[in-house]
Amino acid sequence: MEQLEDFLRNNKPVVKDDPTFLLKTRQRMEAVEGIKAEVDRQRSHGCKALIVALIAGLAVGSAATAIAYLYPVDANSVGEGLLDSVRAFLTTWKQYLIYFVAALAIALGLVLTRSSKNPIRL
Amino acid sequence: MTEERFISQVREQQEPLRRFLLALCNGDDALADDLAQDALVRAYVASGSFLGLSKFSTWLFRIAYNCYIDYCRKNKPEKTGVEEAQALPAQETSDASFRYQQLYQALAKLPEKEKAAISLFYFEELSIKEISAILNIPQGTIKYHLSTGRQHLKQHLQTWNS
Repeated sequence: MEQLEDFLRNNKPVVKDDPTFLLKTRQRMEAVEGIKAEVDRQRSHGCKALIVALIAGLAVGSAATAIAYLYPVDANSVGEGLLDSVRAFLTTWKQYLIYFVAALAIALGLVLTRSSKNPIRL
Repeated sequence: MTEERFISQVREQQEPLRRFLLALCNGDDALADDLAQDALVRAYVASGSFLGLSKFSTWLFRIAYNCYIDYCRKNKPEKTGVEEAQALPAQETSDASFRYQQLYQALAKLPEKEKAAISLFYFEELSIKEISAILNIPQGTIKYHLSTGRQHLKQHLQTWNS
């Protein structure tokens, strides 16, 4: 057994001298940095878009509320038109709508469960 | 960890890391270098999570071992198996190249854990504790793998010698 141990210690695998190894590593690291920067840039764009949407929503909502207060509408006059047809549609198709919403909720749940897994294992 | 600091650490560790992977890949240096690059990129991406609780080298070797295991899972085992080791070109007829070929062929016959334990213990001269941290298995199990690995290696080397 000692002979085997000596054999192993005296015959360590020899790594080829490759001066480009570190250079290649550095290039791959720079590529990773590029991807990181792109992801950060897209995330920051997403944040900006969210803030703009929030401000726009607040502005439109405020304007709509202000208009509703300033120019009140008689609900009965509208009720005979659009609201009645919406109500009739919901009454007729409500069970299918419930199925649709339930299917969407399940699909969303599945998608969230799958995407929460960490892609990089160390 | 800054990029420069990471590179300086890698510069110190690249040779042991590549040697470890070379032993795991049964002498296929192109594959070993590919896996080493992969491991270094993974390490760089995760370098923010390195808390210094273990040595940098231990952490790096662990990532490299995981890369190798991932590679084995994705590819057929015979790609890093005995056939690959036997296909190594016998460039020179020197004793040294013959010994390496013998060694790689014997290593190729070992199960992954035994091969990793033998490589880290004899080629990298790491302690049982460090090997345990790298392979993520208890120290007693490492000793068992070393013992059975030695027996298996001895059998394989004797078979070829006879």
